[in-house]
Amino acid sequence: MNMPALEDLVGQLESVSGAQQINPEVPLMQIPDVDSMDLMEWLYSFQNEFPEAKADASLFENEDGKTTLKLVHERLMALDTAVSA
Amino acid sequence: MAYIQITGWGVSVPDRTVSSAEIAEKFGVDEDWIVSRCGIRERRFVADGETTASLAVEAGRRAMERAGLTGGDIAHLIVATATPEQPSPATSAFVQHELGVAGSAHDINAECSGFVYGLIMASALMQIDPRPILLIGSDTHSLTTNPADRDLGILVGDGAGAIVLTPGETDWIHSWDLGADGSRTGSLQAKAGGSRMPMTQEALDNGLHYAKINGNEIYLNAVRLTVATVRKTLQAAGKPVEALDLVIPHQANIRIINSIANHTGLAQEQIFTNLERYGNTASASIPIALTEALDSGLLKQGDLVLLAGFGAGMTWGSVLMTWGGK
Repeated sequence: MNMPALEDLVGQLESVSGAQQINPEVPLMQIPDVDSMDLMEWLYSFQNEFPEAKADASLFENEDGKTTLKLVHERLMALDTAVSA
Repeated sequence: MAYIQITGWGVSVPDRTVSSAEIAEKFGVDEDWIVSRCGIRERRFVADGETTASLAVEAGRRAMERAGLTGGDIAHLIVATATPEQPSPATSAFVQHELGVAGSAHDINAECSGFVYGLIMASALMQIDPRPILLIGSDTHSLTTNPADRDLGILVGDGAGAIVLTPGETDWIHSWDLGADGSRTGSLQAKAGGSRMPMTQEALDNGLHYAKINGNEIYLNAVRLTVATVRKTLQAAGKPVEALDLVIPHQANIRIINSIANHTGLAQEQIFTNLERYGNTASASIPIALTEALDSGLLKQGDLVLLAGFGAGMTWGSVLMTWGGK
């Protein structure tokens, strides 16, 4: 699969949420103008583009409140690896 | 063959208006936060003595008046609700008695899709018994939501909407779609109070009789399933999205509605919304919006209109019709 690079992911989420600038290393919960529905909106588009990845809302699991977009991207890459294996 | 025509419509909402500022204060958040999350500025909550059935009775009475009928003319009463008057008997029994409906009465529970389900069921019933049908959607989720639950607490509102269907010679309905995916019951559920988990003191103490929502799953699947049903119903009728004069979606959350519009190619001016004033009234949201669209002149004779809903279960449905007949 041609998974988005981290920079692409940042741009996609900025587009969906309207946030001016998203730092991928800042916890998602601390980013103004990004909420859970923005994440789900991005996920919906991703699922349509990459149905074989079987990505779901667990990408954004955030029990310790420290999940960043960088970590989400790493989880995506792990999905890609699992599908390719 | 008898087709349905919709000859009466009516609404009943409680007088008590609850602003998002009031809800915000209760949950310790900003009013703007609520509005940005769901688009709801105010909603109606029932007062003491008002119930799912009492709202349904008033909405039904208004719809029958509009149609020039009385309860004695109604052959079948269908009440769509997920917040029944009591566990047994059905809410429709109470409504039937109050309205003096001469014929049958039963409930439908397809959660927020209930009204669309009811419309299709009524259309099918009309084929074998071409006499007037009263279809009501009524819900009072303010009474069944955990007072401490912010996720649902900012969304819910109470209300009822009704339509009268009478037999006609012209077909109104172009196409329709109903569906369900019971693997997603956990997205929005009240666990206690049924046969799977009878009500106990422990369940009560743990609040398991209250509905609990998984907002992420609901958002994702509401968009996915509604986009799919809209496309399927339009495709079945051979109509492009541009041909639609009006779409009346389930008034769940403006973010979900906007996403559905975005992914189906609907323009904002094609979509009717009133959730900013009523909140999410569940089974009642589509008939309340339909009534407002008709009374305001936004929906007119000859218009191509699509009703589309989704609900817990999950369930979904859509109906495409030409108002006044094809």
